[in-house]
Amino acid sequence: MSVASSPVRSRTGLVRAVLGRAGGYLAVFAVALTITFLLPRALPGGPLRTLGGADVADLDPAVRAQVAAAYGLDQPLPVQFWRYLRDLARLDLGESFNGGRPVAEAIADALPWTLLLVGTSVLLTAAIGVALGVIAGLRRGRGKGNLLLAGVLLLDAAPAFWVGMLAILFFGVHLGALPTFGATTVGHTGLAAVGDVATHLVLPVGVLVVAGIGQFFLVTRFSVASALHAPHVEHAHARGIPHRRVVARHLLRPALLPVHTQLMIELGWLVGGALVVETVFAYPGLGRLTFDAIQGRDYPTMQATFLTLVVTVLVMNALADLTYPLLDPRTRTRGAA
Amino acid sequence: MRAGLLAGRIGAVLLTALAVGAVAGPWLLSTDGRERLAAPYAPPSADRWLGADDLGRDLFAQLVIGARGSLGIALLVALAATTIAALVGGLAGLAPPWAAGIVMRVVDLVLALPFLPLLILAAAFLGPTLGVRAAVVAALVWAGPARLIRAGVLAAWSRGHLQAARAMGASAWYLLLRHASPVVAPLLVPVFVRAAMTAIVLDASLAFLGLGDPTSPSWGTMIHWASVRGAMLTDAWLWWALPPGLAIVLTVTALALVGVATEDRLNPTLRQAR
Repeated sequence: MSVASSPVRSRTGLVRAVLGRAGGYLAVFAVALTITFLLPRALPGGPLRTLGGADVADLDPAVRAQVAAAYGLDQPLPVQFWRYLRDLARLDLGESFNGGRPVAEAIADALPWTLLLVGTSVLLTAAIGVALGVIAGLRRGRGKGNLLLAGVLLLDAAPAFWVGMLAILFFGVHLGALPTFGATTVGHTGLAAVGDVATHLVLPVGVLVVAGIGQFFLVTRFSVASALHAPHVEHAHARGIPHRRVVARHLLRPALLPVHTQLMIELGWLVGGALVVETVFAYPGLGRLTFDAIQGRDYPTMQATFLTLVVTVLVMNALADLTYPLLDPRTRTRGAA
Repeated sequence: MRAGLLAGRIGAVLLTALAVGAVAGPWLLSTDGRERLAAPYAPPSADRWLGADDLGRDLFAQLVIGARGSLGIALLVALAATTIAALVGGLAGLAPPWAAGIVMRVVDLVLALPFLPLLILAAAFLGPTLGVRAAVVAALVWAGPARLIRAGVLAAWSRGHLQAARAMGASAWYLLLRHASPVVAPLLVPVFVRAAMTAIVLDASLAFLGLGDPTSPSWGTMIHWASVRGAMLTDAWLWWALPPGLAIVLTVTALALVGVATEDRLNPTLRQAR
């Protein structure tokens, strides 16, 4: 396949690609906004009951009309949507039904924990998954490679919550070695506080890694095994380049591109999947906030956490997009390279 | 025997055994898993192979009956997701570029949505019946496979014999059925397997969070009750929380073995290399 042949063409190509990407992100964001707006209005019970709290349904009609007016629910839908967007632009996410705390505050508290948890897990998952995948790919069809494959498939098959339960039992209860609850212990300062946060991370991150490496492993193994006898690799061998060097420089670099794509596909899963693990370990992140909000029918919090999750996935996607040209020189344009 | 083939056979045998157990097993049991027959938290014995839960109900019976719930949703979701993925991916592969572009943007959109929160939301508000759970999981998992199938159709389209047939005036439908489908159809096997795996784990996660269907037992709901009723604090986790988890691991591994075996067989570069 020919790469952009003239600087002019490549530049318009870049602009188009960037615009296309940005348009895609905007579209997803718009759909997420619409879903979160319509959610309390479409669900059983109607918006009044869901936005105003359960007991509103029992009030007499005059008072109900007042409550509806107070929430702006007597306005036509487009007006309501406009107001929703306006409040959102001011970062006014409303107040939680559960204690009346501003939702923006709750999100600001929870988001850093999820980013820490998911960020650490994603990096470790990708690193371990890819390393094992390369090993198994190079030894595909041989004893060790098959053993590794079987082992990873077994690990991958275990549901995260179940692994989490067993991990709590062994590392927390029996060994008493690691904290199994929350993200911090009260009373630590300075370095001790950092260590405290790190020890709280070990089990949740471990579970997320175990649950996640399978995909990276399989994609890497497949990609590496497919590239083993690619013409450019055979040619490098024929030129007498040492095997290790062929693997490192000629085989792995192109073979690892699908892994990057896999990472992007998995991000939505990984951020959402943290929910289960956060619940198991009572980790004070976004996932648990979401789950508690859904359980308690806390609509303002639910809307906000859902939107935050979508935006988080989009931002991570954009980061993955931006780093892709670093890996694949073919997607670099002359001006940018 | 080649390792891939062996793995595929082991997986197929395991799956068949599980399916037979799920279909026939409940008829062979003397209890439906709801009767109180033993002491609470009773350990395994000759009569009750996996002991009893907090209400004295037979856990082995629950495990066998739960297989129906877990395998049932896997089958439903895999069928639905594969059908949607084949239709969307196939049509996007044949459609003019502008239409395919729109379809693929929708696919991107679904991929960017936070799956699990959406699923929990739907289960919490639409009710946890089998149909709802299957529909929601299927609505979320078709997107990735659709992209794969579209790529397969596009690749098939550019093959020499297909281009030749086209040059000789074959119609699009003839090309699709006679020449493209043999290339694309094998892709559906890994898609089906992957959707089934995802469905089992997602559904169990949902049940673990307490959003399962209380009227139809599954492996996920067993683990949920074990966790809620304090089985993890006593030895009861050994016969209450461990077996359903192992059953999930066994089923998903069996599916994965079949998936890996077919994927390896399908890749022409790997076959050549052998």
